[in-house]
Amino acid sequence: MRRALWLVLVSTAAHAATVEAPDAFAQEVEDARNEIAAQLQLHAYDLLDELVFRWTQEPPFENESPLVLADVTVPVGFGSGLQALIENHFVSLLVKNPRAKLQLVHCPQCMAMVVHSGAKGTVVARGVDEPETLAKAGVASGSRHALFLDFEAEGAALVLRVRITSLEPNLPIVYARTISTTTASPSLLRSEDKLKSAAEARKEYLDLLEGKGLLLVPISFAVRTYQPNPNAFVATAPLLWLNVGIEAALSQARAWTASFSAGITWAPESHVGWSLTGRVGRLLTGNTVSLTHPDVYAYVGGSVISMYGTGALAFRNNIPTPEDLKASTGTTPNVIFGTLHFGLMARLKNRIAVSAYIETAPALNGSPVLGNFIDLGFTKLQTLGFEVLFCF
Amino acid sequence: MRRLIAGLWLFAACTKDPSAGFVQTKAEARNYDCQRLSQAEAHERYPGVVPEVPPRGTYGSTDALICSRRVLDWGDREGRDEAILNSLGEQVSELTRLATSTAPEHTTWYVDSFYPQPQVAQKIAIAARVGLVERGQKVSDRVPLLGGGDIAVLARLPPGQAYDLACRRYFAESVLARGEAFLALMIVDARESQLHAGVCLDGAWRWLL
Repeated sequence: MRRALWLVLVSTAAHAATVEAPDAFAQEVEDARNEIAAQLQLHAYDLLDELVFRWTQEPPFENESPLVLADVTVPVGFGSGLQALIENHFVSLLVKNPRAKLQLVHCPQCMAMVVHSGAKGTVVARGVDEPETLAKAGVASGSRHALFLDFEAEGAALVLRVRITSLEPNLPIVYARTISTTTASPSLLRSEDKLKSAAEARKEYLDLLEGKGLLLVPISFAVRTYQPNPNAFVATAPLLWLNVGIEAALSQARAWTASFSAGITWAPESHVGWSLTGRVGRLLTGNTVSLTHPDVYAYVGGSVISMYGTGALAFRNNIPTPEDLKASTGTTPNVIFGTLHFGLMARLKNRIAVSAYIETAPALNGSPVLGNFIDLGFTKLQTLGFEVLFCF
Repeated sequence: MRRLIAGLWLFAACTKDPSAGFVQTKAEARNYDCQRLSQAEAHERYPGVVPEVPPRGTYGSTDALICSRRVLDWGDREGRDEAILNSLGEQVSELTRLATSTAPEHTTWYVDSFYPQPQVAQKIAIAARVGLVERGQKVSDRVPLLGGGDIAVLARLPPGQAYDLACRRYFAESVLARGEAFLALMIVDARESQLHAGVCLDGAWRWLL
């Protein structure tokens, strides 16, 4: 699509633009190739990880054997950059996995072109392809085997063909395997020095996906702010809450969650209170939690809040009078009311989250102290809440 | 209203729809290889993407369309090369299966391919060598060579005669001996994208495909 658009632009542009077009096109092709190579590199690494893992489980040779990395070929269309990355990763894998019983040796003559003239003619070939020539030349690399790695892109799959050739005159192939993957499957990204089987890597992936299990213990610090009533001569200070609860995921994907928590609030010389809250949340950013990006949930819930102290007088449907305040000196005013809320929560894995919600307390719709952030007609949204959650 | 919301939700959920339409052209859509799987199988293969089947089942049959983007888009490589490389494993596997059925056990195989692009020719030969080893055959990495005079003559002959004559020359020059077979993979016509193969065994050439 972009290329078609580019062609249209080029055809209608001035002559000067056509002079620059080949460079721009070459740059576009180079960018595309770099992008593909970056994706391909991970899959190539994956295939190499699998290959070396198999060697650690079942080494190709009984004893530790020196080996020349004779050739690494990349898919047709790619260059030496990808080749170098693959070669470096492979060497790193063999160094970190001695159980593969393969020791890479340096043999520049094996890669060099050698010329051998005999009774049957003159042969020009690489050293690894003419081992008898190397032997006659007195080149002793210490290696008796050469390794060839070949990668090719076949449709949506990346295929690795590996073979080990014995450096004898007849060049017998003593080991060959084909390993294939599809580029649609995510790379396992195994650690080089702790290779795992694909099955073990998959289990780790699933464990990670499922988080710490279906149950979490969230601890949150919350603040509820109340819109003051413009006609009232008193205003309610924000309430600070500490909540502890339990959250259950209704599926392993954590697309639906339900939680129950209990909270306490306290302010010196003002109030002490408790709350019980229940919520149901739905993941908005996909069908399952992301391993790499924050997840956003929408939730609805309800609370029962009980407060004691003079601060509780603000949550009544009448204006506190001096008589009320005077009466409260000998007793402890208390109030209990229910609320409904809905909000959004952004969560990073199952570790930390921030949340904002708006809340209504239907029993306080007639409160002369509380104002409204939003008046829906049938009810009023008096409260804005903000939370920071830590999950354990 | 509810239908509109459902439609909008579907539209938002189908941002990666592989079919051609508003968001991508037919040429771009051709770069996907897609297959339809049941939800259970799709969840098994892509647990982080496809949710598991509810324990009590669903009201309708739910399936997943699994699409794999090609590593290289159509057109990124030369057309004939792409056609060969796209199904290299399948084509070579079939040819090596046919080849192994023509030779007795314990035959040592030599392999070479004849294709205008040297890089692609190398890929074909490697795939055939590895394929033969994986079928339990003895394979040599050496390529049997003829002298310059033979090559000059063979290059002037049509393929039907050239491979037959080359096979006889391999034995006449003792490049190949009894118990050794030479598998050649090639395209016969420069315009085709189908691999052919033949086996040279005991001085006799036989076309496999």
